[in-house]
Amino acid sequence: MTDIQLPDVFVEMADTLVADFDVLDFMHLLTDRCTALLDVSAAGLLLSDQRGTLRFAAASTEAGRLLELFQLQVDEGPCLDCFHTGQPVMVADIATATDRWPQFAPVAASYGYAAVCALPMRLRSEVIGALNLFINRVGSLAEDKQRIAQALADVATIGLLQERSISSRDILTTQLETALHSRIIIEQAKGVLAERLGIDPGRAFELLRDSARAGNRKLAELAGAVVDGSEQLPVPADRGTGKGER
Amino acid sequence: MTTADRRRRLWQLVLAHGEGGEPTLAHVCAALAEVALVDGAVAALASSATVRATVHADRIGAKVEELTLTLGEGPGVDAVVAGRPVIADDLRDRAAAERWPVFVPAAAAIGVAAVFALPLRIGAVRVGVVTLHRGTPGALTVAQLSDALILADLLCLMLIDPSTNGRHAGQFGPVDGMHNPEVHQATGMISVQLGVSVDAAFSRLRAYAYGHDRPLSEVAADVVARWLRLEPDTGDGQR
Repeated sequence: MTDIQLPDVFVEMADTLVADFDVLDFMHLLTDRCTALLDVSAAGLLLSDQRGTLRFAAASTEAGRLLELFQLQVDEGPCLDCFHTGQPVMVADIATATDRWPQFAPVAASYGYAAVCALPMRLRSEVIGALNLFINRVGSLAEDKQRIAQALADVATIGLLQERSISSRDILTTQLETALHSRIIIEQAKGVLAERLGIDPGRAFELLRDSARAGNRKLAELAGAVVDGSEQLPVPADRGTGKGER
Repeated sequence: MTTADRRRRLWQLVLAHGEGGEPTLAHVCAALAEVALVDGAVAALASSATVRATVHADRIGAKVEELTLTLGEGPGVDAVVAGRPVIADDLRDRAAAERWPVFVPAAAAIGVAAVFALPLRIGAVRVGVVTLHRGTPGALTVAQLSDALILADLLCLMLIDPSTNGRHAGQFGPVDGMHNPEVHQATGMISVQLGVSVDAAFSRLRAYAYGHDRPLSEVAADVVARWLRLEPDTGDGQR
């Protein structure tokens, strides 16, 4: 996927948005495409829960997911700054940011990241989430790439506002709530699978995601079926260790 | 205002409605109505669109809930079915009349002009719905909606495990475990271990944490790491 081009990604996004789509699947796709398109190591997406807190929505890799969760846990980091100010955050050398983020900076470095960028998901005056890019080399993300990244963050916002029949405020509320609970169902399903199949939650997520893709199903819908027991996923013979989340 | 401040303020408001006693569903509903500037809030247990049991209602709210039950339609029904908030901030508009042809005139007849139905759920754990109603049309502000969602979360937790009402004083702080993915993973694991629904599993996890006076997140981490297994039929859990 290294040769992926910007037009391909926008065509793919537009195709997804036209069809009946799942918000979280869309967010996962977006973080995946960010890494390929922008040549960054990992991408993560946090969404507002409308109660004043950010929650984890999607990440391209396990490291990305852990770093997003870490920021939420210690309540500091580029994604949070970006969310609170509504402004992009670009730090070209994380090593210089230990005063700003005493907890986040060393942990990000320990994952091998040297630079970080965060872009706001904005809807008029409101910030509804943030897209985080982790980069394994020192240096600012090039201006044109920052613009593309912001456009992708804007596409994510548009994805949340898909239905047009009711006011955008109501759509935002229902979509954010749906995404939030879909995310929780996925975690619950990961637990069910981990226990039933004796695998770790990261492997359980890969299984869930691969099965959803293979069957052309929505991730959250399949997760719901796993949780209520109406669907039993078999363990595939291939027990590769992917880059899935945990 | 930070989230922690907001939660503290809301909790104080619930306590104020409780007038010193242990907070109940009624007190949370009263606080909900106050912060959202609506006339009342009605909480119902709902396992499906048609199986519902009102657990607290004001006078008009009881009528709204009765309509919902007898007519089998309305924002409260849709919120349960779809599992997401259903906002009908002006029942006089055409979209509302088309969506709920029987409910809308019936609601108008009892003086209700706006209804906001918030499902009470934690992922696959679905408990019920809280329905706010107002005699005048108009949207909720962002701040009102934020407050309402936070209090709906509290209602949800109280309904899942009624015995722990009073302990929310400590638990309703900035960290209530709901943000922690491991809490939900542990819930899924426990449901398999005990052969019970996720609802029951979540309730058991919480009961264990309270019973051992440990943070929910910490207990959940032990479950996910497979250091702790909950056994069937041990009340709220001796190891």
